[in-house]
Amino acid sequence: MRIDVSRPHGGHISLQAGMNNYEVDFTSALLDTEQPCPANLSAWNGSDPVKRFAVYRNNVVSSLIDALEDTFPVTRELVGDEFFRAMARIFITRVPPKSPVLAEYGDEFPEFIANFSPVQSVPYLADVARLEMFYLTAYHAADATPLDEASFRGALSNADALPSARLQLHPSASVLRSTYAAGSLWAAHQGTIDLATVDPYLAEEILIIRPFWEVLVVPLRPGAGRFIELLANGASFGETALAVSVAFPDFDLTTTLADIIRTGAVVAFNFNEAL
Amino acid sequence: MTKLLYQNAISAMTLAAALGAALTMTATPAAAAEGDNEKCYGVALKGKNDCKSGPGTSCAGSSKIDFQSDAWKSLPKGTCEKTASPTSPTGFGQLQEFKAQKS
Repeated sequence: MRIDVSRPHGGHISLQAGMNNYEVDFTSALLDTEQPCPANLSAWNGSDPVKRFAVYRNNVVSSLIDALEDTFPVTRELVGDEFFRAMARIFITRVPPKSPVLAEYGDEFPEFIANFSPVQSVPYLADVARLEMFYLTAYHAADATPLDEASFRGALSNADALPSARLQLHPSASVLRSTYAAGSLWAAHQGTIDLATVDPYLAEEILIIRPFWEVLVVPLRPGAGRFIELLANGASFGETALAVSVAFPDFDLTTTLADIIRTGAVVAFNFNEAL
Repeated sequence: MTKLLYQNAISAMTLAAALGAALTMTATPAAAAEGDNEKCYGVALKGKNDCKSGPGTSCAGSSKIDFQSDAWKSLPKGTCEKTASPTSPTGFGQLQEFKAQKS
């Protein structure tokens, strides 16, 4: 269980329950330069514990900022290094890591950015950060082998059962439905498209997936994001195709299927589960 | 399933036709599939090596020098040993780690 500890200077720090008072003081002082060095510290060689603690505190904060820089490189490029590091420093004091695994740190960073008033003039920043977090998640997701063409042909030969069939999606797949052009902005910062051609205010849906070794960031056609979400929620192939066709007049089942097959998003066709 | 939904249901035939057409569209030459990549040592530029790990770990993007002989990059099959590598004794990338020669 997590508890929120309010500090007199106004910051909120989440700490693990079960810490004693000394650990709470030490942990909060570690992330806040305005707090004094914890009492009763001593250095092995007799040097000043206040200075030693300041060095340690600096290393902790720098390593966490570096980890966020590694995970959110495009977010950083969009606001510049100096601004990003200042923003990251504030985030770290509000949402310190809950796990020792640095590769998982930052899943609350996009939401923090969305509510961070100094970046309200860059409204698409939070969605770009969401895309980068999905990228990291896909990177670390379990491996799975995309369904091969022969298996799809096998499913096709069982045509009567197709409407009730359930498509199992790749464990690394996520869909970002952005009100901004988060995918194109991200792609422009990979050098794959020209930033001058991107209108940041055009809504986009993006599939983020790692079928084999590399993470793919794929722009989706109208309705495809909803199509993937419904399948992921366990809706049958027939229900999903119908619901999306009704909701999105531009939805094209064939090209959408081609896209999700091409990206390796389907790992199994499950029959017999519907009554 | 409601009656309305049933009446408007997309038929098995429609689904099969769409899936069949999609499979025709996705039929690609095997060489283009990403599954046919191989690990290629000695060709990645500094910090540009691939890895199954990721940011915040000490693996992907961790190579310290250009063409580091024990860092690999995923390349399409058959292209590795045609990719120049100044650190490699053969002058090209290799499928195994190798001992770098001084350049």
